Amino acid sequence: MAIREEVSPESRNIVEMSWDPITRIVGNLGIYTKIDFDNQEVVECKSTSSVFRGYSVFMKGKDPRDAHFITSRICGICGDNHAVCSVYAQNMAYGIAMPPLAEWIYNLGEAAEYMFDHTIFQDNLVFVDYCEQMVRETNPSLLERAEQTEAPNADIHGYRTIADIMRAFNPFTGEMYKEALNMSRITREMFCLMEGRHVHPSTIYPGGTGTVATPQVFTDYLSRLMRCLDFIKQAVPMNDDVFDFFYEALPGYEEVGRRRILLGCWSAFQNPDQCDYKYQNMAEWGRAAFVTPGIIVDGELLTTSLVDINLGIRILLGSSYYEDWQNEETFVTHDPLGNPVDKRHPWNQTTLPKPQKRELEGGNYSWVMSPRWYDQRTGDHLALDTGGGAIARLWATALAGLVDVGYVKATGDSVLINLPKTAGTPEMQFEWNIPQWSNAIERNRARIYFVAYSAAMAFHFIEKALALVHAGDTQVFQEFDVPDEAIGCGFHEAVRGVLSHHLVIRDGKIANYHPYPPTPWNGSPTDWYGTPGPYEDAVAGQPIFEENGPDNFKGIDIMRAVRSFDPCLPCGVHMYLGNGKVLERRHSPTLGIDVQ
Amino acid sequence: MAEIRVGKPDTKPDAPAHTKGINSGNEPGGIEAEPGLEYTGETGAGRPQTRSYARKSTGINPEKRNPIDPNSPNLPPA
Repeated sequence: MAIREEVSPESRNIVEMSWDPITRIVGNLGIYTKIDFDNQEVVECKSTSSVFRGYSVFMKGKDPRDAHFITSRICGICGDNHAVCSVYAQNMAYGIAMPPLAEWIYNLGEAAEYMFDHTIFQDNLVFVDYCEQMVRETNPSLLERAEQTEAPNADIHGYRTIADIMRAFNPFTGEMYKEALNMSRITREMFCLMEGRHVHPSTIYPGGTGTVATPQVFTDYLSRLMRCLDFIKQAVPMNDDVFDFFYEALPGYEEVGRRRILLGCWSAFQNPDQCDYKYQNMAEWGRAAFVTPGIIVDGELLTTSLVDINLGIRILLGSSYYEDWQNEETFVTHDPLGNPVDKRHPWNQTTLPKPQKRELEGGNYSWVMSPRWYDQRTGDHLALDTGGGAIARLWATALAGLVDVGYVKATGDSVLINLPKTAGTPEMQFEWNIPQWSNAIERNRARIYFVAYSAAMAFHFIEKALALVHAGDTQVFQEFDVPDEAIGCGFHEAVRGVLSHHLVIRDGKIANYHPYPPTPWNGSPTDWYGTPGPYEDAVAGQPIFEENGPDNFKGIDIMRAVRSFDPCLPCGVHMYLGNGKVLERRHSPTLGIDVQ
Repeated sequence: MAEIRVGKPDTKPDAPAHTKGINSGNEPGGIEAEPGLEYTGETGAGRPQTRSYARKSTGINPEKRNPIDPNSPNLPPA
């Protein structure tokens, strides 16, 4: 549903095209571009969100023990990631660490969530952009070539040519599309066994879980996990075949969605042998997690310390509908280690919404703020992205080389994933190698590898959990008192990337609460230093490979670039009428204010 | 707050946490009062280590439900 508008021609024939809302993502995202069709290039890109949530506003004054139940509702697909992250933050604030078995149950639930969400997004949403029907409409010559190209891994997945794979991706009729829906059912059942309900868990709360730890619950999970393995073992080589084909058949396709390597990962799967939820030890227990935290700049791992990551977070404005909070209260001047905490850190943020008209040229145009990470070496505020989550997690874990549990091993430049033999397939090993680029294809490729990673990790977690159950150590909850004054922070990975929750408690109530999910990082608008957000950055300057001209342009390459980030901006609806003719332009802020 | 027109609140934000007669599940003492679970020390990172007995699952002749060998674990059915 692209909107086309001719822009006054200067030296180049530039056409303004916009997609608002972008479909097949969660929530409301608008992408506004200027395209030079003569040179097949996107000249400029702006990403906007027209939805205001206000969690940081209405969480104030609430009982902190409700935080995970409320913040879970931030998202209708990764709500459990929010609940878990909130529990991490609350555990720190309450000074407790839950019994080890509870932690393994959390890890198993989250592993199922990664498998579920990545699969449904990849096969049912992303691959619509790569399916036979779509490629026929946008790049017919590419489909012809795909018909003639043998799939290198045909012996594993059974599809003879690349076009056969593309047909399997066709929505509603393709085999992979349908099988992925089936997979998402099984993985959600696995999730529910551990966290009670999907997607807003009912058995997750600070101090532990209400899941009754019996041998039965873990074997039920394991039997489903084994069923998933056959799918995963076929999906990984199938993904490789398709993505490698795009590189080969469309030279230069690596430029689609490519941006500087600026990746952030906030860690996932806590290790109960190391993690005590004390801020003072956060750097150490963060590194012990089964997905290593890290910030990667130009291929270099800058840090794996969650303390460094935490202190470097800055929330900037520049193109967002908010007033600055520089003169508002400072809640946390120093962290528990004595380090100064910046005024622009989430602990000290005060959200001051200021609804206004959208102004794409030199004004404010989004409800998303601009989170950045302050690089002390250079003084830059880096617009980190998560690459849809999987690529950043694998990249940080690979470079750090800390994870080694047998099923998964980080080597320093790759991640080895070992999947055991199942009824339909033999034992298999996959290796995710650090790619040359941070681009659309590699973000998508990493996603299916992370499904395999999560499945392999789940075996480790099950073994650990069953060992505790067999020893009779079935306690899954730790009691606590709510302190009058406390601070806490939780670092986790939502399915599509970094997730942090920052909490300040005063008089036993929430004084300040700021969740920062992945999409504010990825979908942020240009900040006041002029640094564009990752979507904008990735799309601007990218080449266009679509064979359609401006008249029936679908923007498939732009959509592939944006969707590779797994955008998630819950939740709003826009309506567009007509063939490029704007009947009425109306600005409807969500709060009670009149906009002129 | 920003200059935004909002309605008058008709409840306090923390109302559900203070409903009379509702106990807080997190308050210390509850687990201790629960039968069939013994603290045996601390495990990695200072986390509690426990051992459960048949009494955790049943109040009817629980001593007859434990394993014959005291070193064997009790696997609770639920």
